[in-house]
Amino acid sequence: MDDIDAMFSEMLGEMDLLTQSLGVETLPPESPPSTAMETNFGSVGFTDASLHELEDNDLDALMADLVADLNATEEKMASERGMSKSSTLPTPTVNDFSFPSPTAAPAFTPTSTSTSTSTSPVEPAASTSPLPPPQNSKPSKEEIEAQLKADKIKLALEKLKEAKVKKLVVRVEMSNGSSKTLMVDERQTVRDVLDNLFEKTHCDCNIDWCLCETSPDLQTERGLEDHEHMVEPLSAWTRDSENKVLFQQREDKYAIFKDPQNFYIWKKDRNTLKDMKEKEKEMLLEENFCGTSIIVPDLEGLLHLKEDGKRSWKPRYFLLRASGMYFVPKGKTKTSRDLVCLVQFDNVNVYHGKDYKNKYKAPTDHCFLLKHPQIQKESQYIKYLCCDDEWTMTLWVTGIRIAKYGMTLYENYKTAVKKTSSSASWTDIVTSNASTPSPTPKAKAANGHAPKPAQESAPTAPSNQSAFPPPPPPVGILPPPPPDPGLPPPPPASMLAKGSLPPPPPFSMGGSFPPPPMDDLPPPPPLDDDEVEMPPDFMPPPPPPVMGFPTPPLPARGFPSPTSGGRPPPPARGFPSPTPGGRPPPPARGFPSPTPGGRPLPPSPSGRILPPQPSPVSLATGSPEGSLPPPPPPPPPPPPPAVMAPSPMVRKAGPPPPKRTTPVSAAPSGGDFMNELMVAMQKKRTPQ
Amino acid sequence: MAAWDLTVIVEELGPEAPPLKVSVTSELHIGGVILKIVEKTQIKKDWSDHGLWWEQKKLWVLRAAWSLDKCGIHADARLNFMPQHKPLRLGLPNGATVLLSASFSAPVFRCVVGLCQILNIRHPEELSLLRPLEEKKKKKVKSQETVYDITGASVTSGSMLTLANGMPAHFAQSAEYEAVYKILSVSQPAPAPETIAKTFRPANIVEKAQVNGRWLDSSRSLLQQEINENDMLQLRFKYFTFHDMTPKHDAVRLTQLFEQARWAILLEEIDCTEEEMMLFAALQYHIGKVSLTEPQMTSSPAMDDLDSALQCLELKLDEESGSGADMLDTMTPAPELHDYLKIFRPKKLTLKGYKQFWFTFKDTSISYYKSKEESLREPIQQMNLKGCEVTPDVSIAGQKFCIKLLIPESDGMNEVYLRCENEQQYSKWMAACRLASKGKTLADSSYSSEVESIESFLAMQRTNPGTASAQTDESINTHSLVSPRYQKKYKPKQLTPRILESYQNVAQLSLTEAIQKFLQIWQGLPDFGVAYFVVKFKGCRKDEVLGIANNRLIRIDLSVGDVVKTWRYNTMKQWNVNWDIRQVRIEFNGNVNIAFSCVTADCKIVHEYIGGYIFMSTRSRELSNTLNEELFHKLTGGHEAL
Repeated sequence: MDDIDAMFSEMLGEMDLLTQSLGVETLPPESPPSTAMETNFGSVGFTDASLHELEDNDLDALMADLVADLNATEEKMASERGMSKSSTLPTPTVNDFSFPSPTAAPAFTPTSTSTSTSTSPVEPAASTSPLPPPQNSKPSKEEIEAQLKADKIKLALEKLKEAKVKKLVVRVEMSNGSSKTLMVDERQTVRDVLDNLFEKTHCDCNIDWCLCETSPDLQTERGLEDHEHMVEPLSAWTRDSENKVLFQQREDKYAIFKDPQNFYIWKKDRNTLKDMKEKEKEMLLEENFCGTSIIVPDLEGLLHLKEDGKRSWKPRYFLLRASGMYFVPKGKTKTSRDLVCLVQFDNVNVYHGKDYKNKYKAPTDHCFLLKHPQIQKESQYIKYLCCDDEWTMTLWVTGIRIAKYGMTLYENYKTAVKKTSSSASWTDIVTSNASTPSPTPKAKAANGHAPKPAQESAPTAPSNQSAFPPPPPPVGILPPPPPDPGLPPPPPASMLAKGSLPPPPPFSMGGSFPPPPMDDLPPPPPLDDDEVEMPPDFMPPPPPPVMGFPTPPLPARGFPSPTSGGRPPPPARGFPSPTPGGRPPPPARGFPSPTPGGRPLPPSPSGRILPPQPSPVSLATGSPEGSLPPPPPPPPPPPPPAVMAPSPMVRKAGPPPPKRTTPVSAAPSGGDFMNELMVAMQKKRTPQ
Repeated sequence: MAAWDLTVIVEELGPEAPPLKVSVTSELHIGGVILKIVEKTQIKKDWSDHGLWWEQKKLWVLRAAWSLDKCGIHADARLNFMPQHKPLRLGLPNGATVLLSASFSAPVFRCVVGLCQILNIRHPEELSLLRPLEEKKKKKVKSQETVYDITGASVTSGSMLTLANGMPAHFAQSAEYEAVYKILSVSQPAPAPETIAKTFRPANIVEKAQVNGRWLDSSRSLLQQEINENDMLQLRFKYFTFHDMTPKHDAVRLTQLFEQARWAILLEEIDCTEEEMMLFAALQYHIGKVSLTEPQMTSSPAMDDLDSALQCLELKLDEESGSGADMLDTMTPAPELHDYLKIFRPKKLTLKGYKQFWFTFKDTSISYYKSKEESLREPIQQMNLKGCEVTPDVSIAGQKFCIKLLIPESDGMNEVYLRCENEQQYSKWMAACRLASKGKTLADSSYSSEVESIESFLAMQRTNPGTASAQTDESINTHSLVSPRYQKKYKPKQLTPRILESYQNVAQLSLTEAIQKFLQIWQGLPDFGVAYFVVKFKGCRKDEVLGIANNRLIRIDLSVGDVVKTWRYNTMKQWNVNWDIRQVRIEFNGNVNIAFSCVTADCKIVHEYIGGYIFMSTRSRELSNTLNEELFHKLTGGHEAL
């Protein structure tokens, strides 16, 4: 034991250091960048708090942490959305929030926790399970001290691990203009995120779906490759970036594998290739992708090049080789030895340029460019190329992708095909599950992106709170989707299960707001949190925070009747009311929150009551945004906007998609982390 | 039944001895003739490998049951009675010459199968024999060449016994044989630049086409093609579709293929760009270096397995438990570098040049301060090197050790030069920069090996460019790694940094990985695997070039070198050869017909090339490892086919 103790304390020390450093490094920077993605701080804070608290209140503390996390996230979102311009605010606000949450927590746990920021429990399963335990824990606290210690160590380690995982909150814009907000950690690939979105949107899941990064500054667009880690490209964005991530179908994503002849026999007329037999296509693929090395299409032709920051576009004869892009220098032939290398692909990505005829006086609008992903503004280091027609551009861009990614691209494709074929059955299962519990027929609606029926679990959710046993069901539901434990999909389930209550109400309103499917993060919540802080008494609700996360998803799905009906609990918790009232809180943060002011009346009171659960607030806020929370606040419609107030620009319009859609704040998420935590806790308990 | 005398020359009796006269009748079968000959020689030995060779008709008379009459042998025939297997000097792709016993009576295809079995090369159908280039003065040089005699090695039964280290049993009989096996399975040190310069290299596409006229006919025996005992032939990969290449079983095959590819590049048989050449050079250097340190590649498979098993285990541990050790490990303070360095930022348009500051390298970032004492305060600047481009700017002679950094930022690339005092400092900081550019920190396990490889590469520059031929130690002349074109274009001094630049991307590869990477890049070259022939298309007067690749035929304009037309095999309906007018005719889908006669090679070679590639493409489908020799001959044999 001594050893363990010693080790533990050592680790705590380490962690403190870590947190501090993180706090120093990440927090400040983040705050300034409205879009900033680094989320480390959240998790860090979490570790600290949780560790300390655990000794006494283990689970409660955890919950508090969760709440805090939520707050932080929400706050971030809020700051980002609302305050796109006011970069400074976010940080301070964050701090405030975090404190509040802790305060709330204090009721149960020592205030010390407050420092901790937050980990957003992305995973529903995790969240659900945790809730029940807390209750149990309370009675058993003293009994299990020894175990707790072991737990703590494990937790500490896990938290440390988690603390190192970078997380971002990403706002993904759908093709219909709505948006979903996702928590993405650095281990997740674009494929994971896509799967996640498939679940959330119930789209047809075909292989053309793609996440696409756009930059208004450079007027560029790039489909992210499935194997890329989602966080990486986003990390290159500047703090005040207007960049977005779009969820859309792009035919060119895997066109190479659907019609390889168009790329490998590009010299021939495409019409004559149209009726190529499947077998021949397979042979082509086999030839080019299944050998010991990948064969890159032997593209060559005249393109216009603009480089070195010059204004003019010079025609050059280019050739594509596996090793890079080359051109024929003046007066030379196109023999290999004479070629001049324009660029090798190791460090650059290929982007589509939009409307370059206007922007750069390009000969045509069919432009693409090659640049280091870090470069976000015009620079002499960007190579712009202009093609005569769109097809030529597709050829080159695809060819470059093959040269750059090689076999990986083909593997991505095969995975995508597999996912697509399996996803159909998958969705069916999910929907059926959901439907069974809840009479509401939400499933069908799913096909639209935004409107997905809330998790079926919703019905169960209410019950969850009271009875822990139920949590498992949500879990059960999740399993199917679980491509990634930390992924968002689960969250919805969890939400349903636990917090289903709060979320639904908001959602009902939310329905009107198609955009924010994933509102979990929405900035508004933070505001609420602040207010929430006031009512520490509510601390017990820790679970709500959990719920908060989940809720967001719900809105996206379908606010339909079920939400309101099933969710009743939320009102009980005061969430609903808080939401409305929540908006007002902004003052606490120092937000101008003009809008909130308008709403203030009802919300404020309710908000105070609710304070306990920042998360709930968050939910509420989310919902308000989307639409009015039906139950509690009649005024909601206006309020929601108020809530948004912080980010008046973006959200006010409500309907219009948020500008910043994409990336934004880094949020301490950690579905995985939560899961691990819960699992760890439960393990410890069960033996007893 | 009149008896007559058959004239038979028996080798064993010596060249001076008069031919034997054996009394035979026309009905006597060959087996009987041989029996009579053996009796007459009165020599007791194992005659089982002997056969009758009919010199005038260039024919082996091997069917023991056929009568002389049926074989068309009459009194005017003079037969030779000699062993079917004789020693042959075989030039391997790596430049070594081995003397081994080859079948002079079987079709070359079967002969190559036998040779490959001895050499332990799988998939012999991909290789064939090439007549060496006839050179006037080379005679003398050849006599100096060491010939490794492994005629004693023979594979007894069909199945090959392999020792634990991957060496076939027939090489285990003596130390010399083992040494030969090492030559076969380990890549050779880089050749001296002079060797490269002196060796023949095709200057243009016609010369490349001429090389292909030297392939032996696979359907006929060596003796039929006037190859005699102890003659020199080259064993080369002919069909560039390498089936089922597994490093574990293909030590010799992989090494020899690498050697063939390396020489193809060094001798400019296949064109590549300057960037590609630098990468090839870096890989050659790396392979040469690792070959010296790493034991036989054949022992690596086991190691690989072990390594991967260990890795799996580590991963598992990592995932399962909270991985306490791992966590604790990462908590130990991260290593850092501190030193006074000079920095220069050309961006600022100042002419001040390098200025000295106190530098700190931590994680993936460099920070600098006015002085060591100031290092506790805010740095003047901090640069995160993740994703940056690191280029060496080094001259040992000038004692210049600079690191050029191109650090990506949102508004472009930030150009920074760091100047180090000496090699050691440079190696440390350079290694740190390189790792950081890949997102790794100083704590990464590869740091020390990175430092080492930079140091050893720097050592290359110190050596005198005049000497170095063999890559015996760290020293090597970079001119050994590139083709003569680049030898002329760059001095070793200029070449070294460029190779070093590429080298940083491959320095961490294992021997097998490096070889495979080399082969991959080689196979990725646009002209890879195209065999050229000068032909005359029917209806055209001009000579043109026909390129034959594994999946297509290419018509190339001889003067310009442009591809005029490409036909893929899968659109090919049939091809045939009119042996009387030596014309190849090919019919494609959609009533496309082409016909051509061959200028630089016999049309049998062209025919065999096309048929051979089609044969190769049939392999993947049938997974069985048995070689369908009959099919090969059907596809390549022409009118002489079975």
